[in-house]
Amino acid sequence: MSANYEPNIVAFLCNWCSYAGADLAGTSRVQYPSNVQIIRVMCTGRVNPLYVVNALQQGADGVLVSGCHPGDCHYMEGNYFARRRLGMLKDLLEFVGVDSRRFHMSWVSASEGHKWKEVVEKTVEDAREAGPFEGFRRRQIDW
Amino acid sequence: MSAMLLKKEKWPDFVGKLTGKKVWAPQGEGEEMRFAPVNEGEAPDLAYGNTRVPPKQAVFPQTETMFRFQVDGKEIEEPQLDQETVLLGVRPCDARSMAIVDKLFGWDENDPYYFKRRELVTLVGLACSEPGINCFCTSVGGGPAATEGLDLLMTDLGEDYLLEAVTEKGELLLKEAGDILEEAGDDRYKEKEKLAQAAAQKIKRSVDHEGIPEGLPGLWEDPLWQRVSASCLGCGTCTFLCPTCHCFDIQDEVEGFAARRCRMWDSCMFNEYSLHTSGHNPRPSRRERTRNRINHKYSYYVDKFDVIACVGCGRCINLCPVNIDIVEILRQVKEAL
Amino acid sequence: MDLDKLRETAAEVAAREDVKYLIGWKKGSYGYRVAPGFVEEAEGAAGLIFSPLCTANLATYLTLVEKLPLPRGQEPDKRKVALMVKGCDSRAVAQLLVEKGIHRDEVVVIGCPCPGMVDPDLLGEKYPETEEPAEVKWSDDGFIIVRDGEETAVPRDELLAEKCRLCRYPNPVISDIMLGDPVDTWDPAEDEGVSEVEDKDVDGRWAYWQEQFSNCIRCYSCRNVCPLCYCQDCILDRLNPTWVNRSVNFSENTAFNIARAFHLAGRCIECGECERVCPANIPLGKLNRKLAREVRDKYGFEPGLDPEAEPFQASFKPDDPEDFIL
Repeated sequence: MSANYEPNIVAFLCNWCSYAGADLAGTSRVQYPSNVQIIRVMCTGRVNPLYVVNALQQGADGVLVSGCHPGDCHYMEGNYFARRRLGMLKDLLEFVGVDSRRFHMSWVSASEGHKWKEVVEKTVEDAREAGPFEGFRRRQIDW
Repeated sequence: MSAMLLKKEKWPDFVGKLTGKKVWAPQGEGEEMRFAPVNEGEAPDLAYGNTRVPPKQAVFPQTETMFRFQVDGKEIEEPQLDQETVLLGVRPCDARSMAIVDKLFGWDENDPYYFKRRELVTLVGLACSEPGINCFCTSVGGGPAATEGLDLLMTDLGEDYLLEAVTEKGELLLKEAGDILEEAGDDRYKEKEKLAQAAAQKIKRSVDHEGIPEGLPGLWEDPLWQRVSASCLGCGTCTFLCPTCHCFDIQDEVEGFAARRCRMWDSCMFNEYSLHTSGHNPRPSRRERTRNRINHKYSYYVDKFDVIACVGCGRCINLCPVNIDIVEILRQVKEAL
Repeated sequence: MDLDKLRETAAEVAAREDVKYLIGWKKGSYGYRVAPGFVEEAEGAAGLIFSPLCTANLATYLTLVEKLPLPRGQEPDKRKVALMVKGCDSRAVAQLLVEKGIHRDEVVVIGCPCPGMVDPDLLGEKYPETEEPAEVKWSDDGFIIVRDGEETAVPRDELLAEKCRLCRYPNPVISDIMLGDPVDTWDPAEDEGVSEVEDKDVDGRWAYWQEQFSNCIRCYSCRNVCPLCYCQDCILDRLNPTWVNRSVNFSENTAFNIARAFHLAGRCIECGECERVCPANIPLGKLNRKLAREVRDKYGFEPGLDPEAEPFQASFKPDDPEDFIL
C-alpha cells in the first residue's frame, strides 16, 4: 500500500434525507473527505445489493448506503426493507472474505450535516485501513 | 512411427526437457481434476482417470478476449498468441475430440483464434488402461489407445512408458528428449497392443449408432423427446464438460471507456441460447433443446463432416445431476427408428 | 418404508382424473444413480422407489416446466401435479406457496418421512459404482448397500449426507398424503463446514472462496436445480443491463456466487441440491447455510415452515437488529 493511497468510496444516498443532509453539510461549509462519489437514489429500499457488489467490482474500495432514520422514510418503510437486506449482505460479504470495513450503512437525516461528515470520515478511514481492494476488480483480469 | 521407451524415474527429466514451452497437465485431486499449467520444475503425476473439465480449454478457452479497445478510440489491441504449449496426459478420446472440432472451426473460414492455439499446442496422450464405467469410446470410432488427434502417445508399461510419435510435432519431442529415451523392442510394442486390447475389453457400455444419423430427422416429433427431457434441469453441465461441444457467444464487456470483446462457451441447453430479439424462441422448452443436443451430435455433424460429434468419454453421463444418460437416450432412439 | 404401499398410493394418485402426472424417484441407469420419474399412468408407478439415494429435490420441477403459448382455442391443462417429497423438499413446496410461485390447488403433495440420505460422493468413493444399478437400503442403525448381489452393512454416521446431519425437519411439513409413520427426529449436528470458514481471518476466507469460485464453470446447474430459483427472467441472463458478465474469471464468478447466495437469503430451505449438482464441487451449501443461520439467529425466521408466512426479504420488523449501522 502506498503512503498516499486515497480510497475510492461509492455512496448511495436517499433523495429525501441523506442527500439533503450531505447538501446541508455543503451549504454549511462543513469540511469532509472528498473520496466519496455520491449516487442519489430515491430510497435506500431500492438499493439492490448487487449495486454494492458491482461497485466493488468496478473499482470502489468501500461502499456506503445511507438513508432516513427508521420511521422517517418518505415511502414509510423503504429503509426497513433496506436494513434487513443490506444487513444480510454485510454478513455474506464478510463470509466470503470482503473486509467488513468496506461496506457501511448509516441513517443521516436532512438536518444532520455534521453527522454526515462523521459518517464519511469513518467510512473513508475504515477503507483506508483496509487498503486498496484489488482482488475483486474486473480490470485486474488480463487477456 | 517410431517407438521409444522412457523409464518412469526419468519422467521428470522428460518434462524438464520441454523448456520454453508451457506445460499443462491434469491437476487437482480426485474428481476435481482439470488441465492447468504445471509449475516449473515439477513433474505431473499421470495416475488419474480422466479430468472433469476436458482439455478443450487449452485451444478453446472458456473465455477468450478477441481484442481490446477504447470506447472513444479507433485502435484495437489484439492478444499475442505465441506461447507454445504441451499438454501432458491427454486421454485418446479428448485428443480425438480436437480432431473432430477442427473440422468445424476450419469449415468455410479458418477460425484464427482456435487455429493459432491449435498450431501451438502439442498433445501428448496417455493410453487408458482402466476405462471409467461410462466410457463408450470404442463404439463411436475411438479406442483406449487411439492416436487420432494426438502428436505423441504414451502407454504405461509398469516400469516404463512407451512413447510413439504420431505426427512431426511428436517426432520433434522425441528428438528433443534425446538420450533419456531408449529404443523400444518389438516385445514392448506387442505388450502395449495387448494392454490396449485388454482395456478395450473392459469397456462395458456401447452405442449401436447404425441408422441413427439418417433416422434422427424422422423422429422429430416423436414422444421420446418429451420422455427423455422431462427431468432435464436445463443446466449447461453436459455441454460445458463435453469435449466436442464448441458453441460460443460473443459479448462486449465495458468498464468506463475500456472495453474488450470476448467470446465464451455457450450452451444449447440454455433458454437464451436460441432466444430471438423479438422474444420468440424456436426452441422454447427443454424438449427441443435436448433433441437438438442429440441431433447435433449424432445427425447434423455426421451430415456435414461425416463423423459423429461424440467421443464417448462419458462425462455428460457421469456429471448429469439427474441421470440423463446419452447411451440410454440413443438406445431409445434406436428402438423408435 | 414399505415400497409396495408407496407404489400403490402412487398408482392411485396417478390414476386420478385431476392429476396430470406424478413425480417420484426411480432407479437410475447405472451405479447409485436415481433419476426423477414422471408417472402419467398408474402402471408407471411400479418403477418408483424411495431409498437413501433419493437425494434429488423434485420440487424444482414444479416451476421448471415451461409455460408455452397455446394454439388459439386450446385450454391450458389445469390438472394437478403430484409430487413426492422428503422433509426438506416439503419445505421448498411451502416456501413456493409463501411466494405464490405455485398455488396449493395445483399440487398434490405425497410426504415421505425421511430417515436420512447417503452422501453420493462419499458412497462412490468408498464403494465404487458398478455398471449395474446398485441399491441402498435403510437398516435399523445405518445403511445396507447391495451391489452385484452382495450386501454390505454400513453404520449411519459413515455415509450420512452433510445436509441430513444438520437436518431439523426430516418429516414433511406439509402433505396431502403421508406415506408411513413420521420418523424420530435427531439432534442436528454442529455445522462444522460453516464454522470452519468463519474461523478463518478475512484474508483466509477470501483466499478460500477464491480458490473455490475459480473452479466455477458457470453452468448454472446450481441455479437450475434450486426449487426456489425460478425467475422467468434471471438477472444472470440479462444483457441490458448486464449485472454479471458472462466471462468466467475471479471477479465475475465471485459476483455470480454472491448474487446467487444472496437471492436465497431467508428463502433457502437447505436441501443441499446446489452443492450436490455442482460439477466443480464448490461447497455452495456453506454460503446458503451461513445466511440461513444468520436469518435464524438474528431475525428469528425460518423459511418454508408456514405457507401463510410473509416472505423474509419482503417484510420487516421495526425492531430488526441494526447494530451494524453507523
